[in-house]
Amino acid sequence: MTAVPAAERPLTFRAAVRRSLAWLPLIAAAAVLGSLGALALPLALAAAVDAVAAGGDATGPVALAAGLIALGVACDLAESSAETACAADAAARLRTGMVRRVLGAPHRISRFDTGDLVARISAGAADAAHAGPSAVGAVAAALPPLGALAILVWLDWRLAAAFAVGLVLVAMVLRLFAKQTTAAARQYQAAQSEIAARLTEALDGGRTIAAAGTAGAETRRVLSGLPALARHGRAMWRALSAAGARAAVAGPLATVGVLAVAGFLVAAGRLSPGELLAAGQYAMMGAGLGSLTGVVAATARAKAAVARIAEVHDLSAMSYGTDTLPPGTGRLEFTGVTVDGDAGPILRDLTFAVPGGATAAVVGASGSGKSVLAETAARLRDPDSGTVTLDGRPLSALSRTELRRALSLATARPALAGATLADALGPGRPRTLIVDAATAVGAHDFATRLPAAYDTPLPDLPMSGGEAQRIGLARAWHAERLLVLDDATSSLDLLSADRVEQALAASDRTRLVVTYDATQADRADLVVWLEAGAIRATGPHGDLWDDPDYRAVFAR
Amino acid sequence: MRQEFRYAASGLSARAVWALLAWSALEILPTAVFGLMLARAVDEGFLAGRPWTGAAWLGGVLLAAAVGALGAARVYAALGAVVEPFRDRLVRQVVRRSLAGAAAGRPEPGALSLLTRQVEIARDAYAGIVVSVRGCLVTTVGVTAGLLALDARLAALVLPPFFLGLMAFTATLGFAAGRQRAAAEADADLTDAAGRVAAAARDLAAAGGEAYGEAFAAGPIAAQRKAERALAGAAALRTLCFAVGGWLPLLVLLVAAPRLLDQGVTAGALTGALLYILTGLQPALSALISGLGSSGLRLYVALTRIRPDTGRDEVAEADPEPGPLNPLPLPDPPAPVLAAHGLTFAYGPRSTPAVEDLEFAVGPGEHLAIVGPSGVGKSTLAALLCGLLRPDRGGVAYSGDDAAQLSPRELARRRVLLPQGGYVFTATVRENLAYLHPGATDEAIAASAAAVGATGLVDRLGGLDALLAPRDLSSGERQILALARAHLSPAPVAILDEATCHLDPAAEARAERAFAERGTLIVIAHRPSSALRAERVLVLDGGTAVLGDREMLQGVSPLFRVLMAHQSGGATP
Repeated sequence: MTAVPAAERPLTFRAAVRRSLAWLPLIAAAAVLGSLGALALPLALAAAVDAVAAGGDATGPVALAAGLIALGVACDLAESSAETACAADAAARLRTGMVRRVLGAPHRISRFDTGDLVARISAGAADAAHAGPSAVGAVAAALPPLGALAILVWLDWRLAAAFAVGLVLVAMVLRLFAKQTTAAARQYQAAQSEIAARLTEALDGGRTIAAAGTAGAETRRVLSGLPALARHGRAMWRALSAAGARAAVAGPLATVGVLAVAGFLVAAGRLSPGELLAAGQYAMMGAGLGSLTGVVAATARAKAAVARIAEVHDLSAMSYGTDTLPPGTGRLEFTGVTVDGDAGPILRDLTFAVPGGATAAVVGASGSGKSVLAETAARLRDPDSGTVTLDGRPLSALSRTELRRALSLATARPALAGATLADALGPGRPRTLIVDAATAVGAHDFATRLPAAYDTPLPDLPMSGGEAQRIGLARAWHAERLLVLDDATSSLDLLSADRVEQALAASDRTRLVVTYDATQADRADLVVWLEAGAIRATGPHGDLWDDPDYRAVFAR
Repeated sequence: MRQEFRYAASGLSARAVWALLAWSALEILPTAVFGLMLARAVDEGFLAGRPWTGAAWLGGVLLAAAVGALGAARVYAALGAVVEPFRDRLVRQVVRRSLAGAAAGRPEPGALSLLTRQVEIARDAYAGIVVSVRGCLVTTVGVTAGLLALDARLAALVLPPFFLGLMAFTATLGFAAGRQRAAAEADADLTDAAGRVAAAARDLAAAGGEAYGEAFAAGPIAAQRKAERALAGAAALRTLCFAVGGWLPLLVLLVAAPRLLDQGVTAGALTGALLYILTGLQPALSALISGLGSSGLRLYVALTRIRPDTGRDEVAEADPEPGPLNPLPLPDPPAPVLAAHGLTFAYGPRSTPAVEDLEFAVGPGEHLAIVGPSGVGKSTLAALLCGLLRPDRGGVAYSGDDAAQLSPRELARRRVLLPQGGYVFTATVRENLAYLHPGATDEAIAASAAAVGATGLVDRLGGLDALLAPRDLSSGERQILALARAHLSPAPVAILDEATCHLDPAAEARAERAFAERGTLIVIAHRPSSALRAERVLVLDGGTAVLGDREMLQGVSPLFRVLMAHQSGGATP
């Protein structure tokens, strides 16, 4: 695990901008040059028109205007390509870093929802990648409208005054016709969710519908809400019409006044006809002030995105030691283990030992801390105090490879990742080991019946809860000394569970089994009974069974 | 891409389009007269020393804007008539196809997101395209008219380069769309991979698969970066097209200006023509380019996800209204109610068959249980028996009729399948219960409900006329209602595929007894006790299948013995 120093520093907006530093001078130069060219163009056009109107030689001004146009196009090309490349690179870098953090911090990651993480990695990184370009863009975008205003003042202050009056009128028009459009949208969404709800129901009943041959009738039933949807949809468009009318009036309002004042100035000989044309253009450019909020919003969005992904980016990775295990049989020992949660301790001062090769059952009511105990034993979590040792070595002192070779965890609802079934069964492991593990847990028959056997793409896999658990078991099967099973066979049918039980019994690994099943507890050499995060008692199932509180744990 | 756009255009109603264009013409009036009026204002007003005349002409521009606002308001209303039918069509397609897929056992991934998200994106983008295309169209017509009114020579100089740029843009649309689609696909792949890694992050860590996880995400991340960078090429093309269509007319006009003035074109007309380019053609072209570039792409991507079926677009929902299902006349001589001959099925050419050379027959009123470990192919067998899956070899016969030759409706008259998830839908309790027997009397419905133990639930729901809200029902309650519905079906054979798994053992026993009394029953067993109730049991054990009564199976099937041992040693829940 070699770390990139720059990537280890906390991610801030400034840091995100700095990472795009190689591109920013080019983007900034193109943007500023383009804006200056756009500002100069109306004056150049004015000079050309006036020269032509005067009947003189217009080659100079026309060439100047042509040059400015070419400059604008060139700047546009340079800016947009540089910006695209800059953002694409930055997004890829951010994403790679985030994926590494997510995988390297299993003890922290449960704070985030999966959907939330995905949103941060995909959309969040895309927005944050614009941090550099947006910071530069905000400056460059402010240039044309502000410059246009300055030029209007410079041409004649009365033009600027007319422009200001126009802006006030525009604001009044926009306010005058403001109208609520949300009601129509709300009704439209309601009609839409009704159709969606009916479709969901029908999709759940796919087999029933197929067997009854009623797909057509079901389609009609789901679509019965369509006319209402169309009606509300049209109402939405009608509600928008007021906004359309407003924009149509407001548009010319800002420019006509400036043109009229310019006209009077032309008549008075203070402005040339070309300058009248230029004044009109500057008025339009100045009206771009309103859209500046959009640029500011883009920067704000990049800023917010950086802050959002920083929460993931700044996760500290789980640290591993360098130790290897001494020879041993897999003795697991908890000594004074306490794990704190948001609302008080989840595990309190647990001390117990599981002899090498033995099976310990962890039982307790839901919420008593069983799964956290399993995670701590599998080192997906570190205790806040106390130690967990395997054959005498603290888990935190072991190297990552040694740790994962020695122990593993299977859960009730395993999350599977990978391109194919084989990847899900053993991410990055050789095929022979994968097939062995699958055979041991009875997943081999299932695999060979699939369209492409072990190479069946994971998304195409028809999978029940039992199937997923079997894959999860196979994935953990490689552990050499300790297998932690957190309710990992609960969805298997009796026959399959029996096979797994036999295979487990045949291996000599230590087993820590979280279970709700009294038979499993009975089969264990030792039961650890948890209550509210603390050990209520340890001992064989038969001894504990006399306690009615203990029996109550299994009564579901 | 062509196909998607043909689809988008094919549903346009001529009347709605004309209405839209007519109002657009009004909307575009200010743009069309702007240059003309400004030219007059300059020539006859400001340069002629009559500034108030010029101001009056500019007032005309404002008047035109007011008229245009009237048009703009109506344009949006007219837009609804164009856009909403398009959206209707997409909703119909999505619903029809996802239901057909679900019924065929090929559930459409993300059907709901298609309906609520992609269709909305398509609707929005479609509107965006209609707005920008008709905007460009109407502006072009308006500006052409204005230029011609100013001076035909001006029009002859300005319009050709404009159209050149327009055509160049149209010609490169396909290229740009290809790049954009690649980027959108790369994005979707990335999201997908990120989702899988994020969901399995802890599991991967526990299995020591961090490096695999990073490598799994690295591919899509790099592909997305490449696709995103490739977009720069498309953007550059757009910029160049705009340079030709938007800036070239201006340059041409400037270069030709001295000669034009010599030929008598006025300074005002020249200014007007320049304004037509700057305030008419350029904004319209840029709106078209950005509109088609963003909305067109979004529409295209949404449509490729929705995959509207361009062929059979408006075919009505095909099957006939469900009528009463009459009992079938008994065949003569009596054949087994249900028989499987050499039944063989595999999910792929390389895979081990899930069912192989299966041979058995079920007589009228017989009760058969099928047991075996999960994943052994019990549900596959149920689907084969019901005629929902076509076997690779062999076949299934109902009273001697080959199931493969029977239509879905005919099959439904012969057997009823009850899968694991009890299907209930938002409608009255009666509609739910009489789903397979639409003509049933209330007495018959009540009798079936009573038989499977659903009377209490029906009463609690408020009787047969009460509206049923599926999300308020537990899995067990759904199964009870589905059992009552299946019990009411006139089909002589009932196949229960773990249909009672959410019921407690007593309720399960009651329901199974009711079905055994009702007619022929095949139960895919969830609990060993189901097998005990059956007259004969079919034991599937991955490759082998043994059929017999309990005594016989105790002798020959180790799997059956394990099962029975669990049943008798059932000290634990």
